Amino acid sequence: MLKNKLSKALVAAAVSVLALGVSAPSGHAASSTIQVYISADTNIQDLWVKSLVPAFTAAYPQYSVKVTFDLHGDHDAQETAKITAAAVLHKDPQVDLADGGFVTQLGAAGLLWRPTKGLLPNLANLSKTVLAAGKGGIPYRASSVLLAYNSDHVKTPPKTLDDLLAWIKANPGKFTYNVPSGGGSGYSFVQTVVDKYLSTADRQTLTLAATPSLEGKWAQGLETLRTLNKYTYGMNGTYPANNAETLKDLATGLIDMGTVWSDQFASAQKAGTMPTNIHVTQIANPPLTGGASYLGIPASSTNKTGARLLANWVLSPAAQNIIVAGTLSGLPVIPVSMLDPTAAASFAGVDISNLRPTYLSANANDLKSAWATAVPGK
Amino acid sequence: MSASTPEVRTERLEAPSASRRSILGFFMAVPPIMLVVCFVGIPIIIALTFSFGYTTGPNRVVSIIGQQIHKKDHWWGTFAAYKDVFKDSRFPGDFRTTLGVTFLSTAFTLLMALGIGLYQRIMGGRIASIMTTLCLVPLFVPVVISSWAIHTFYAGDGYMRSVLSHVGINFPTVTSTVSAIVIGSVWTSLPFAILMVTSGLQSIPDALIETAQDAGAGFFRIVRTVLIPLAITPIVIAGTFTAIGIMGSFTIPLFLGPNQPTMLGVEISNFFGAYNRPQQSIVMAFIVFASASGIALIYIWANIRSAKQSGRV
Repeated sequence: MLKNKLSKALVAAAVSVLALGVSAPSGHAASSTIQVYISADTNIQDLWVKSLVPAFTAAYPQYSVKVTFDLHGDHDAQETAKITAAAVLHKDPQVDLADGGFVTQLGAAGLLWRPTKGLLPNLANLSKTVLAAGKGGIPYRASSVLLAYNSDHVKTPPKTLDDLLAWIKANPGKFTYNVPSGGGSGYSFVQTVVDKYLSTADRQTLTLAATPSLEGKWAQGLETLRTLNKYTYGMNGTYPANNAETLKDLATGLIDMGTVWSDQFASAQKAGTMPTNIHVTQIANPPLTGGASYLGIPASSTNKTGARLLANWVLSPAAQNIIVAGTLSGLPVIPVSMLDPTAAASFAGVDISNLRPTYLSANANDLKSAWATAVPGK
Repeated sequence: MSASTPEVRTERLEAPSASRRSILGFFMAVPPIMLVVCFVGIPIIIALTFSFGYTTGPNRVVSIIGQQIHKKDHWWGTFAAYKDVFKDSRFPGDFRTTLGVTFLSTAFTLLMALGIGLYQRIMGGRIASIMTTLCLVPLFVPVVISSWAIHTFYAGDGYMRSVLSHVGINFPTVTSTVSAIVIGSVWTSLPFAILMVTSGLQSIPDALIETAQDAGAGFFRIVRTVLIPLAITPIVIAGTFTAIGIMGSFTIPLFLGPNQPTMLGVEISNFFGAYNRPQQSIVMAFIVFASASGIALIYIWANIRSAKQSGRV
């Protein structure tokens, strides 16, 4: 009797433990719920949670939006694996719309629903080259990495990368960039220095396809970065961990110059955490990188209708105005003429199709690793 | 663990009520064992096969996404991912840093815990109790908060440098150095070590100390020949727990350490996430696992020793 009970209970325990591991992801979302996955910094979280989602649900009250947020994209690899696994196993990935650096990687792997103008009418307003670069991703905002400087101490900011490198050596301890694996602003500086020694064709190739054969050409740029170790803040080859730390070092006056994201810098100025004497500028030959951020609808999403509706709405002038004029201060992806004129005034003249793109994520991952091998502490 | 087996056996031979109790005991032990087997044991085996290049079955998805994946070329697999890690110029520095930080932090933690424990054991009194209680405060501060606090304390614009610069002293920036990792690790490990060591020292009867005193032994002789030998088991347990915790730490070296070389906990995360090289990150994880097993052997030795002393084995 007792044995029987025990074995029953054992089987029940085993089954329930197994069930925990196996069946968790198979729950289906109600079609009125759109699951949005965001992998970015907190300013993008605020954009969605505080601005875009409330405005969307006000316009479409029959839908509710569930936002999952991953700070700094720390779990990009796992999320990519999850969406890939869901596609391979024909399961619900529990993501209907994703915003993150991994979206173009998913697009390249053919795991995204390919947007068409028939189902997403607002695509008609986007630049064709920016849309094509998404490989299935839908560009919805843009930002660029800029050079921020303390105007009290720097009267004439560098105009080119060579000027900047010369300035760094002439002003030891006054410049820094964050670890490339910790944030895009530091990554952009690294890619820009490395690109200085590459041909235009090689740069182009690295943004489009995984090409380990070209990675050997990074050596000269990495050596340049290594020689900067004793001139950057920290002076012994240590670098800030992420974008936010570079901003903090600028704001507190520890450094006079650093690379920052345009939108994070503008958000910080609006919030009052960045003093007004810190200005931003863009350098040339080559310029710091930038580009569009892409939304992706996983091919195996169970609520593509809702995701399409939300994506299409995000490309509408109303939503683009929020991106441009709200706390984010992002760049729009639709023509400036369609925006609210007061919002458009802040960034007049920036053409997002001219922003210098970052490498394809596979190459970018290798560059981060190559930098960690060659530069810090060396 | 070693002590519980004979007890169960004797109970089984007794009345049926005892056997019912032992079945109940077994039943209560099943959920944690199932949990460990399903969520720790099986994933470890899957990860081990992945590190040897088995890229099918449960490893299929991670091999589609990851970069620099090596597929097995013999029936038993391949050592290619292990070679990658051992040939990587970052690895020796990371490994040395991990072992060095673990050793130094554990040594400092044990020394400090012994200091407090001995003070309380020998002097006793209110001040000693208050000091011991104060030392337990870090136990209630989450590691991420304390790391950040230590960071702001020792950073370039931190408290130490700001205050000392007023009196003309240029205090060095401690953050982004291995020393900062040691400071942080000792800070977070100290409370547990103090709890273990203090309770070990408290359990030594006064009579033994008094006898030694009557025989003319000085303070250091009592400590060396009476207190430490009698409390060695809790001291070793405190040391092994501290060392294993520090060896696998992530938050403290991430916030306080240099970019390179760093501790393997951070490097594993970099390889898994930023560099998208899951196979190599798993290899490193197994190296940490193997190193920690070495420490675990000391723990088992201490347990057996204490079981022998109390006559359980």
